[in-house]
Amino acid sequence: MTDLKAALVRLLRAAYPHPSFPDGPYERTAQKILDAVADDVWRRLALEQGLASLDLDDDPAAAEKQLREIADAEFFVHVRALTVPVLYDDHEVWDLLGYEGPSFDRGGYLHRGFDDLDWLPDPRIEEYDGPERIVEVAEHDRPATEGSRR
Amino acid sequence: MTHPSGDRFGTPIDLDTEAVVIIGSGAGGGTVAYELTRRGIPCVVLEAGPYLRPDDYENDEWAAFQQMAWLDHRTTSGGYRVSKDFPHLPAWIVKAVGGSTTHWSGATPRFREYEFRTRTYYGDVEGANLLDWPITLEELAPYYDLAEKAIGSTHRHGRPPLPANNNYKVLAEGARRVGYLHYATGPYGTNAEPYDGRPASIQDGFNFQGDKNTSKWSTAVREIPRALETGRCDLRARAHAVQVTHDARGRANGVHYLDAEGNLHRQAARVVCVAGNSIETPRLLLMSASALHPDGLANSSGQLGRNYMRHTTGTVYARFDQPVRMYRGETMAGIVADEARLDTSRGFVGGYYLETLSLGPAFLAAFADPGAWGREFTEILDAYSHTAGLWIVGEDLPQESNRVTLNTDATDQWGLPVPNVNFADHPNDVALREHGYQRADLLYEAVGALGIHHTPPYPATHNLGTARMSARPEDGVVNAHGEAHDVPGLFVSDGSVMTTGAAANPTLTIVALAIRQAEHIASRFAAGDL
Repeated sequence: MTDLKAALVRLLRAAYPHPSFPDGPYERTAQKILDAVADDVWRRLALEQGLASLDLDDDPAAAEKQLREIADAEFFVHVRALTVPVLYDDHEVWDLLGYEGPSFDRGGYLHRGFDDLDWLPDPRIEEYDGPERIVEVAEHDRPATEGSRR
Repeated sequence: MTHPSGDRFGTPIDLDTEAVVIIGSGAGGGTVAYELTRRGIPCVVLEAGPYLRPDDYENDEWAAFQQMAWLDHRTTSGGYRVSKDFPHLPAWIVKAVGGSTTHWSGATPRFREYEFRTRTYYGDVEGANLLDWPITLEELAPYYDLAEKAIGSTHRHGRPPLPANNNYKVLAEGARRVGYLHYATGPYGTNAEPYDGRPASIQDGFNFQGDKNTSKWSTAVREIPRALETGRCDLRARAHAVQVTHDARGRANGVHYLDAEGNLHRQAARVVCVAGNSIETPRLLLMSASALHPDGLANSSGQLGRNYMRHTTGTVYARFDQPVRMYRGETMAGIVADEARLDTSRGFVGGYYLETLSLGPAFLAAFADPGAWGREFTEILDAYSHTAGLWIVGEDLPQESNRVTLNTDATDQWGLPVPNVNFADHPNDVALREHGYQRADLLYEAVGALGIHHTPPYPATHNLGTARMSARPEDGVVNAHGEAHDVPGLFVSDGSVMTTGAAANPTLTIVALAIRQAEHIASRFAAGDL
């Protein structure tokens, strides 16, 4: 891994800290960011310069505090805009967060737990048919001229 | 030159044959096309997007978004948060045959009686351009019945309810514990059992991406294929309408449109029905200005493009110590109606629904708190499997300054001026949303929420009001049947016609209005009056 990519991975982990994530998702995201700026001299130089001048603390909270101070730096703003659609679209990330992705080809969740929540009682699914009618218009909100009719 | 054959479906109609020309194939346009062609009236349907089939839909949020979202260039202003976070994406709607019924979630409550007469019930609310609809719930009720049967709404006309999925279990028990009564898994436009030739839901969790299983109603799986089967429908996909033309007497008589290769065509028309959703519809009419209509076609009132509404919305995500897995199952098959009422003791006019909502991690990250980062943000994602979600959807008030205009400083891929959407919340919208957030917090706390996150409104899925119905020509753009007050033969057939937005998800009402409009057009044809 290049120093540039390693520095970017470090930045991504500080800005989007997930204790359970291995390096893989951050590395793939970093690569996509580097690919995106490869042909853009200004963006690339801004990123290289930004990362070269950044000395992030090893402590996550302290690193986040450092980043808050440069939140508006152009290279960091650009990195954030590119990160969210990539990092959270990573299938390993989906696994780590407990999301199962495409389901149609597996028959949906009809027989795979769409209703497996068991820590609350099974609720009514029909509409309420008891004696309480919904008061669509409160007494004090009825137009004066319609009082007798309604 | 004719429309490219790869984008043409059904039975060809000549360009110089004066047909009914329908612009858009979603809830409004698709419904009008079927209702007219089944009565023997030939229709040309111009759809800006491609003809996607259920097999084409993707079980993947970003891939589906890139495939079907309307991503043509647009601009925003007015200071609402979407204009900062997503300045070129004011609306999340679909550009494909079927329009936004392709990705609609499926909730089908009817509007309430008072919601058709807000000027009468709400009075003169400062800053709001309220107006009573020129029709009542009583007049629309028979068409609501027809729309519910077309859609196959659960809980209606003998259609059974969908079962409770995980996200609904949390919503419903929370609702029960705070004393709400009016919660259920519908009414909802997806089959709980086979109906109308389409199968029962397999609870695959993908609604906003198009339903590959076709259990969910859309005009792409019902009205459009049936219209094509009549032999009287000429569907042209990737056909982008540019102008509606009129004759010297002021009658609508044609539509200029571009095919996918950029060739300009003119389709002659006896009647034009515009159903491009509430941003493209006024844009098209504004682009159709003429010497007779210098401020835009059908804009004698000055109301065209104004009163843009997007519903007052917000999302609430709550995390629990036990798993929820909200993404499994029908996305919005859970509706609480107890707050959908008028009671100004709550501090605002209008009402709202609470409906289950789920996003995958990709979209949750993009929309939970746009632009956010750091540990507070990543904690929302880390809790994903233990999170339940609901959507607040309520009435927003029409304001004249909330409007769609042509931005001539920017052009789209065809060189046409882009629509600009200017929007700011009315104080009543803010009060309603805050009330919704508070009630949702109570609901989730009642079932043990450990933490709660409030998400701001997304790019609008419900876009309404920019060509509103009015009894008097000076108050709005179209009459009670959706025909322009000042352009005979020009109809608006989508949610643009809504005089006010009500609290309920709008698709059912758009379909009901479209069925009613088609019946009206057919009767006028029979009488030789159009």
